[in-house]
Amino acid sequence: MSKRRIIWILLTGAFIAGIFMSGCPKRNGGASTRPEVALIMKSLANEFFKTMEEGARSHQSMHADEYNLEVVGIKDELDVAQQISLVELMIARQVDAIVIAPADSQALIPVCKRAMDAGITVVNIDNKFDEGVLADKGVKLPFVGPDNRKGAYMAGEYLARRLAKADKVAVIEGAPNAFNGIQRKLGFEDAMAEHGIEIVSSQSGYWEMGKANQLASALVSEHPDIKAFLCANDSMALGAVAALKSAGKTDILVVGFDNILAVQELVKAGTILCTIDQHADQLAVFGIEYALEMLENKTAPADRQTPVDLITAKELQ
Amino acid sequence: MKHKIKNLHTAVKDYIGMLVALTALLAIFGLSTKNFFTFTTFRTIANQIPAITIMAVGMTFVLIIAGIDLSVGSVLALSGAVLGVCIVNFKLPLPLAIIACMGVGLICGLINGFIVIKWKLPSFIVTLGMLEVARGAAYSVTGSRTMYIGPAVEVITETAALGLSLPFIIAVVIVIAGQFILARTVFGRYIIAIGTNEEAVRLSGIEPGPLKLWVFIICGVLASVAAVMHTARLSSANPNEGLGMELQAIAAVVIGGTSLMGGRGSVVSTFFGALIIAVLGAGLAQMGAQEPTKRIITGCVIVAAVILDTYRHRLSSRKIT
Amino acid sequence: MFKACGIHKSYPGVKALSDLDLDLRAGEVHALVGENGAGKSTLARIMGGIDTPDSGQMHLNELPYHPQNRAQAESSGVRMVMQELNLIGNLSVAENIFFDHLPNRFGIVNTNRLNQDARQIMQRVGLGDIDPGIKVRDLGIGQQQMVEIAAGLSQRCRIMILDEPTASLTDKETALLFDQIKKLQTERVGIVYISHRIEEIITISDRITVLRDGKLVATRPTGAVTSSDIIRMMVGRDLSAETCKRQRKPGQVALRVKGLSHRDKVKNVSFEVHRGEILGFAGLMGSGRTETMRALFGADRADEGKIYLYGADTPARIRTPRDAVRAGMAFITEDRKEQGLLPALPVRMNITLGRLGRISRLGLIDAARERAIADEYIDLLSIRCRSCEQPVRQLSGGNQQKVVISKWLHKDCDILIFDEPTRGIDVGAKFEIYQLLGELADKGKAIIVISSDVKELMAVCDHIAVISAGRLVAQFSGQEWTPEKIASAAFSEYIKNPTQGHQPNEA
Repeated sequence: MSKRRIIWILLTGAFIAGIFMSGCPKRNGGASTRPEVALIMKSLANEFFKTMEEGARSHQSMHADEYNLEVVGIKDELDVAQQISLVELMIARQVDAIVIAPADSQALIPVCKRAMDAGITVVNIDNKFDEGVLADKGVKLPFVGPDNRKGAYMAGEYLARRLAKADKVAVIEGAPNAFNGIQRKLGFEDAMAEHGIEIVSSQSGYWEMGKANQLASALVSEHPDIKAFLCANDSMALGAVAALKSAGKTDILVVGFDNILAVQELVKAGTILCTIDQHADQLAVFGIEYALEMLENKTAPADRQTPVDLITAKELQ
Repeated sequence: MKHKIKNLHTAVKDYIGMLVALTALLAIFGLSTKNFFTFTTFRTIANQIPAITIMAVGMTFVLIIAGIDLSVGSVLALSGAVLGVCIVNFKLPLPLAIIACMGVGLICGLINGFIVIKWKLPSFIVTLGMLEVARGAAYSVTGSRTMYIGPAVEVITETAALGLSLPFIIAVVIVIAGQFILARTVFGRYIIAIGTNEEAVRLSGIEPGPLKLWVFIICGVLASVAAVMHTARLSSANPNEGLGMELQAIAAVVIGGTSLMGGRGSVVSTFFGALIIAVLGAGLAQMGAQEPTKRIITGCVIVAAVILDTYRHRLSSRKIT
Repeated sequence: MFKACGIHKSYPGVKALSDLDLDLRAGEVHALVGENGAGKSTLARIMGGIDTPDSGQMHLNELPYHPQNRAQAESSGVRMVMQELNLIGNLSVAENIFFDHLPNRFGIVNTNRLNQDARQIMQRVGLGDIDPGIKVRDLGIGQQQMVEIAAGLSQRCRIMILDEPTASLTDKETALLFDQIKKLQTERVGIVYISHRIEEIITISDRITVLRDGKLVATRPTGAVTSSDIIRMMVGRDLSAETCKRQRKPGQVALRVKGLSHRDKVKNVSFEVHRGEILGFAGLMGSGRTETMRALFGADRADEGKIYLYGADTPARIRTPRDAVRAGMAFITEDRKEQGLLPALPVRMNITLGRLGRISRLGLIDAARERAIADEYIDLLSIRCRSCEQPVRQLSGGNQQKVVISKWLHKDCDILIFDEPTRGIDVGAKFEIYQLLGELADKGKAIIVISSDVKELMAVCDHIAVISAGRLVAQFSGQEWTPEKIASAAFSEYIKNPTQGHQPNEA
């Protein structure tokens, strides 16, 4: 056997051993009886989830004696397989509760059911599991989170009050396979339909500034009479704002979503008409608190809605 | 004089395939949308091409030496992020921030090139690694947050001469300079030779290593210049920018007839390639096409343009023989 | 049982076989010997169905035999073990042995049976202690060769052609191979055995056929000839007549090489070349001539050895081709396409590549000057091309070679190494290149020429060094050489010890 091969075998062995060791239940060693809560996120690279994570961490550090927290996330919002294996890892570690923001509203259900069968309390946050599949599998687990559709409707409603009937607007959607993206698009459509405003185009900007910018540029040139852009997140709103500025069409209104730091100045100045705050920093915290509550009281799971607020220049004063 | 006429003739022949493709696209979009042939459309396209063009020029050089650089999209995000942080957090003046931004591109290119040459690894693998590393660095530099920079960078796009914006002028200058380097300088000659037969170059007493290193550095720096243009256009920096942009750049270069096998390429053709990509993007958005349609059409156009290019090649090589 | 008559075969520019007859009896070992390019391998390839003859008849067991490809030859029971290994490194030994007839059911390989069958065959060739499941890549070269032979044995076999089978085997493996050959003889298999190793041939063969320049010299029973007879027949007598050339006055020493070694290919080689002198390197293919020059030129890093240039007392530091070129050396490689030319690029770019400094200012190339220089060399060497803009790929072999030489002439080097400068080029161009070599020497350049064609070396060189199995075994000058002396020197290291030439890589 060649030397190189031996080295490889040793390395692989060490790697596997490492995985197993990190996978061992921590409780064995410590005397801690505090419940272990695992927060399984979508992309940690996304600002929204980042804020969520930070909120959870600061909550835990303030209530350090009440529970232990482990936060894990996946590379991007679409890596469903990796998220499933994260849940499996947490089952192996025998945590007490899993708070999960699922990357897919269906694919994660079976593994969460397995976690519940293993006696783990599971709370669904942010992206709601598909009702049909849940019922089909006979799983009942609580959803704690905002209503994206309602949020989008609120923003659309606020915009509609500034427009006349039959005015033209365009929607810049999120990634076409994202549940919250679809909900936001539906919310915008609800509001526009109610006020008889025409959506001339609705295309995906993939949550990205650059792509939204390209879309907005093209749309103002195709539809010069457009009155507003409804963007499914704030980054895309920023892209649209830049497009309108370079086209010299600063009278066109822009609506965002998420209330990220970068847009607050623009909302204050009125460049962006309004945005929606889902209190990302509190979202995970609500989930965790609910999980702890369930652990303590053994209450039956029920959905709990978290607040969604409209943010305009007035709120930021 | 005779030579000049012949040159003009071959020049037209060289670009005819892409001109045909471009004209066809313009015609299709002109017919299928209401307002394609308007000033705003062309200004939009002119605003969008600088970043992709500049990136594609760097990619042309890398492809000519039979390499590839998959990291440019991420390097764009990272350099843009550094630009944003320098202006917003460190309150640096714009020129200094731009220097820092280009420094990032230089370092990324240097690392790519150094690893490829030192360990004789395929650039595909090395730059794939850099794609992840630079993206990760972009997230950590910005704390995964979008950063609004505002007027501090908008200066760049707002500066204009003869009705053309500064980024557009810079892009054209880079294209011309790139073509000049490739066609007329010793450096250009060497990299074409390396792409054709690296071993023959080495045995002719020319070390390919340092030359290849320069090519990767150029590509990295141009990606960061593209980042300046991109950031200025959006007045913000977002660590998620430039996802998949490396593939757009490669598409632009390949549409321009540069061979993935190395040894052959033209920067001017790359410019046309970038133009086709930009027109396609703008046109499809104006049509209001849905995502699936857009992707299918884009894919078909890329392949069709390359097929068209092979005909041009056959045509011109038949003329010689 | 096998008969071939009047076989002709030409490759573009070369007549490989002309009017060749051969017969092979069942159960005999028939050796084919000859110098490089004598036509042994071509004949083997025709028998094995890899090449088809231009004309001529072949019969196998009284039936016409004209295989169009290797598969047809194999189905007639003619199996060939080639010089270049024909194995797939990433597959297991067993899979390689049974590659074209894997035991399977509905396309699913029966691995157990495969490995069992393989083990049986491997035992026959002395590979019994090797796991049939191991990847061929992980075996030593010698073992790989045995696997190749085992693959040949895996099916019904009437004729087995072995082309240099022992080139990389150890003594033990060679002995095993010979046992196996004897066993095949008792099974009435006819064996064609090609080798450079005269001693081996005398030990194993029943009859010997000597080829020279694609023609049959003689077929003799092995018992009736000695090794020196064989060498004489291989080289031919008519050679020495051609040696005639002007006397040149060598100048000072341009290059002195001391103790150059590289891996097991080049072993302690020392020699010197003077200005105005042509030093030839003779030897068999694969004897380490090219490797010596690559190590000298820095193309491969030499393990040991010192190189003194232009009479200097301190050795020159040559670690890369760049160092060598800066020291005024040029290397016209054997493999033009892979190592010498930029095939897709125009003639002019190929000529000026080595010295762009001469046609550029501040890094800018002066296109007019480049064309002028290219035209100058096209004229000087009468390179036949449409213009300096034509891609070299489209030129003939001889003109391509002239382009490579132009590159180095333009570079203006003092020490020029030519590795097989006339390979694959037509007679006219050959003559022009001989002339050019002479002119360069007259101008005071130091020249090294490697060639497998002894006549060629005797026609152009002042001295001839002979390399055998990586060692410089003899050096002849002026009048003392004869083709016989050169040939026996070239074979010397192989006759002394058949296994010394190539140490197998023991895994």
